[in-house]
Amino acid sequence: MNSSVPPAAQEYAGDEINALVLDPGSNTIRAGFAGEDTPKSVVPSFYGVPQSSDAQSQYLFGENALHNPLTHMDVRNPYSSDSVVEDWDVASKLWEYSITSRLTGTRPTPAAKNGLNDPAEVKDEDGDMAMEGVEELEKPMAENPLLVSEPAWNPQKAREKTMEIAMEDWGVPAFWMGKTGMLAAFASGKPTALVIDIGANTTSVTPLLDGFVLRKGVQKSNLAGNYISSQIRLQFSQMTPSVPLVPHYMVKSKQPVDAGASSNATYMQFATPPTESYRKLEEERVLTSFKESIVQVWPGPGKLDGASGQIPGQTNADAVKTLPPKPFEMPDGWNQVFGLERFRVVEGLFSPQGALSDAENPVPDAKHTIPAMVQAALNAVDVETRPLLLNNVVLTGGGSLVEKLAERVQAELSALYPNPRVRVHTTSSATDRKYGAWIGGSVLASLGTFHQMWISKKEYEEHGSGIVEKRCKS
Amino acid sequence: MPPFREDQILIIAPGSRQCLAQLGLPESFTPARVHVRSCMFPGEKEGEYEPYKVRRKDNAATKSGAQQATNGATENAKREDEVTFEEDMVSEDGAVWPIVAGKIVDWPAFYALLTHVYNTVNGAFHTPVLLIAQPVWTSKELERITQFMFEKFKIPAMGVMDSALATTYAYGLHTATVVDVGYEKADVTAVSEYLIHEAGRALAVPDCGGEAMTQRLLKLLGSKGFSREMCEQLKKSSICEVLPKDADLPAAEKEEPKNPAAVASTGMDGQGNTVGPPGANPQEPANGENGTEQKDGEGEDEGVIDIASIVTGGKMEEYLAQKEKEKAEKAAAKKKGLDTAASSAKPVRIPNSKRYKNTFSYEDYALHNALKDANVSGKRMAEMQEAMGDGPNKRQKTPEADGDQDHSMTDATTTNGDSSAGFRRELEVGLERFQAASGGILYTLADAIHRTISSVEEVNKRSELWDSLIIVGNGSKVRGFKEALLTTLHAKYLISPSSATIFTSELPSNFSTPMATGANTPQPQSQMQPHMGGHVNPLLVAATTAQNPHLNPMNAQGLPGQFPGQLSQHNTHSSHAQTPTSIKLAKMPEYFPEWKEAGYEEAVFLGAQVAARVLYTVDQGLSKGYMTRTDYNEQGPQGIHDYKL
Repeated sequence: MNSSVPPAAQEYAGDEINALVLDPGSNTIRAGFAGEDTPKSVVPSFYGVPQSSDAQSQYLFGENALHNPLTHMDVRNPYSSDSVVEDWDVASKLWEYSITSRLTGTRPTPAAKNGLNDPAEVKDEDGDMAMEGVEELEKPMAENPLLVSEPAWNPQKAREKTMEIAMEDWGVPAFWMGKTGMLAAFASGKPTALVIDIGANTTSVTPLLDGFVLRKGVQKSNLAGNYISSQIRLQFSQMTPSVPLVPHYMVKSKQPVDAGASSNATYMQFATPPTESYRKLEEERVLTSFKESIVQVWPGPGKLDGASGQIPGQTNADAVKTLPPKPFEMPDGWNQVFGLERFRVVEGLFSPQGALSDAENPVPDAKHTIPAMVQAALNAVDVETRPLLLNNVVLTGGGSLVEKLAERVQAELSALYPNPRVRVHTTSSATDRKYGAWIGGSVLASLGTFHQMWISKKEYEEHGSGIVEKRCKS
Repeated sequence: MPPFREDQILIIAPGSRQCLAQLGLPESFTPARVHVRSCMFPGEKEGEYEPYKVRRKDNAATKSGAQQATNGATENAKREDEVTFEEDMVSEDGAVWPIVAGKIVDWPAFYALLTHVYNTVNGAFHTPVLLIAQPVWTSKELERITQFMFEKFKIPAMGVMDSALATTYAYGLHTATVVDVGYEKADVTAVSEYLIHEAGRALAVPDCGGEAMTQRLLKLLGSKGFSREMCEQLKKSSICEVLPKDADLPAAEKEEPKNPAAVASTGMDGQGNTVGPPGANPQEPANGENGTEQKDGEGEDEGVIDIASIVTGGKMEEYLAQKEKEKAEKAAAKKKGLDTAASSAKPVRIPNSKRYKNTFSYEDYALHNALKDANVSGKRMAEMQEAMGDGPNKRQKTPEADGDQDHSMTDATTTNGDSSAGFRRELEVGLERFQAASGGILYTLADAIHRTISSVEEVNKRSELWDSLIIVGNGSKVRGFKEALLTTLHAKYLISPSSATIFTSELPSNFSTPMATGANTPQPQSQMQPHMGGHVNPLLVAATTAQNPHLNPMNAQGLPGQFPGQLSQHNTHSSHAQTPTSIKLAKMPEYFPEWKEAGYEEAVFLGAQVAARVLYTVDQGLSKGYMTRTDYNEQGPQGIHDYKL
């Protein structure tokens, strides 16, 4: 199928804008209506737990609550390090929050009282009608079919649980689940692809043939965004003098200081300082800014510590050292220029030898690097599909936004497979890469031909949650 | 011929406290003609609402309570027949506020409010509507409003526009950060290239609106007998200011000249003890032109009188008599005072921010309510008003407040400003009046702004967003608020150029010293263009090219050994992407004289008018700027998302 030609209107049977698409990740949860080009609701997967007397009763969701420096608030995350839900109770609430807060709104007023109907009419209705209204009241998403994304290694239990929540708690009329890798490939219009998705907790490689995930080829590792963060922390502590990491909430005002000089800032006064987990979350914001503005991948060819192709006897790191370093300023005004360091922190994604390590941060496993995972994924699929996949490597995920990462992946793969048809595809739009899987879901759920894929409420009631294994194979 | 006439276009902008509305677009855009309080009062029947408080009023009961008691039986019989109702335009007693912090919490009341607004402007049958949507409204809620508008009012067309986007229209900007400080919340929105950035948008940040400042004042002044209403009016008065730094507070000794006459006015202290718990209305002992001697408002507590309870308790006559006497005494004292200290009585012109204390005039609506409830006639009320004295005609004491301050400050937000309705008194406040925003609101807001801009994925857009901050909303009307917020942002987030050290330490001799104008900022010399040799300090290159990425030889020729074909493909980063390197407020448009006068806090309405003209007259629906009735019939309420801006 030629993907560049749009299908005729009757072929795809018109758009369906009513479906909801939920793409829950371990860092943010994306939700929105199918057919739109970006998710309307992006909610952090972190949540606050106030340590007050009635602790269990309320969780704090959403950016506003989360970044408020309360004195006794624990910041937690319902996801495991493999991006699989651990705490179902909270996760389902978080998902519901992400949908109701921006998309559907809280429970609607019953039709009898919404001011659109004549009050006299309501009296004529019999009791059954009224009961139906009450039932609808309790289900926040009774009007919209729901498409949920999941990681390719999501266990069967988790899939069934997700469907139960959607059907029982939210009352959705129809449901479907799709793998993030597949959805991300759809977003770039490729039914056959090798998707490299660099997220927050996990980096995954998913081979995809004609829209179906080749399960045995799926690879995952923890060398992703959070790993880069921990490498930056390690780098900060190993530099001399070590780099102070002070989050924004602690600083009241700062004064410009010389590079490397100690900061000159006034600090916020807290009677009881916010919890350690809160501080970590806020530090992460600074690290994100660090990653966005100065971290860069050695674009290849070769590793950062490999021999330089240009000047004999030198490594690429030596070449990097001659480049102008980039300055970065901390929230308290401390600033310094970073040269080789800003390349070093991402090298671990490509070569374990290049990674920083100490007692707490062991050297990563060689088979978890991106080139090794691609190799493993290709080895697990048929020989004849390999060139197809190599020609359609899709790089997506927020972690892939690190500068020059796409070039490096291209260089690494070209070195592994000396074939001119190896191509890494990325969109230049940061939005499309961050929300790749969501956008794919939005495209898919809005297609008219997708209607037959939905698992309806009736089917669920008939077959139970086990049906998800049969119907959502890809 | 456009499908709709400009004088038929109805714009509605609902908010938590007030709804702005206007029918027709004037030649030169003006502030909204109709301001309606966003509250409704439950009507007689359940599910019905009235726009104003309705009181029972019976004509026979205007006589005193004693009389009523004697012939109570006949009176009651009469009342059954003669019951009349009176609309009270001012009272907010028992009101239902359907919009709380932007969210619609009471739909029936909200619909009633829309109906009331629609009827107030009295649109003709062929009235297209442009609705300004609160950012927190969800898609589903918009659909419901659309359904209501089309089916209830049978409007021919409807457009929906986000309030943040409307604000950028007013400023004529395509990329801006809109900070809308409302009543209980603030919204921070990044708009880039006319598109709202939904992800990471800080919606309805709690405790960041005007109410938070009132509560802060109440917390500071509550112990001195200030009520919430007093703090509210203090906040709206021109003497309430947010100073950029805490250190700027004027010192106590800079008090205004003392007037011996003020001593006389403390004569009422004794009587103050008889009624009223603290926390009710303080009776300011020294009002009028007299300066005060009270150091820190300690005496105010004693002066507290619960006038409402006097009124309801039937002691009004007594109280008035006393008040009358006092006034006479005071007048006499003043005469004496003028003789002795004529020179010092003249107020010195000092700006508010330099004064330790200042006064503002307070309108007592609570008393007004109490009187109304007690069925006091209008004439009687006017008498009392006069007796309480020092009222409506008194000007504020700050000289500059009379002159160059805009007068709209005090009554712009009290929408049904029937100015004669309340009882006016002068209240004096100390340094607390500078601390309205001291409760952390500036920091919360600054963090929300930083968060919103940092969540914009296009890193290169961020500096532009920082350079065009728009602060609107009536919550930001407090004097100095915008400047203080900007100062806070500067102090916390501004990234200063890291070049400072480099220029002083290792400056090559062929560079002249850079000047503030940037005229002779060092440019990379030709000798350093080829491969970076060891002799050039790399710090220097970073510094000189930090602000001008195109000068960086690295960007021009790429890394050594890079693929030639893939140079610019993924290179969207600039060399110093950390933002903000500068933070500025967006410039206001100056070509609307009426707006210039009224202030740009409600700029959202200006933008709405601009948008209405563009959508209905210029574009005429070509680019789906509004939904027509035909579209609605075809697509139903869900179709509105195709037309929403």
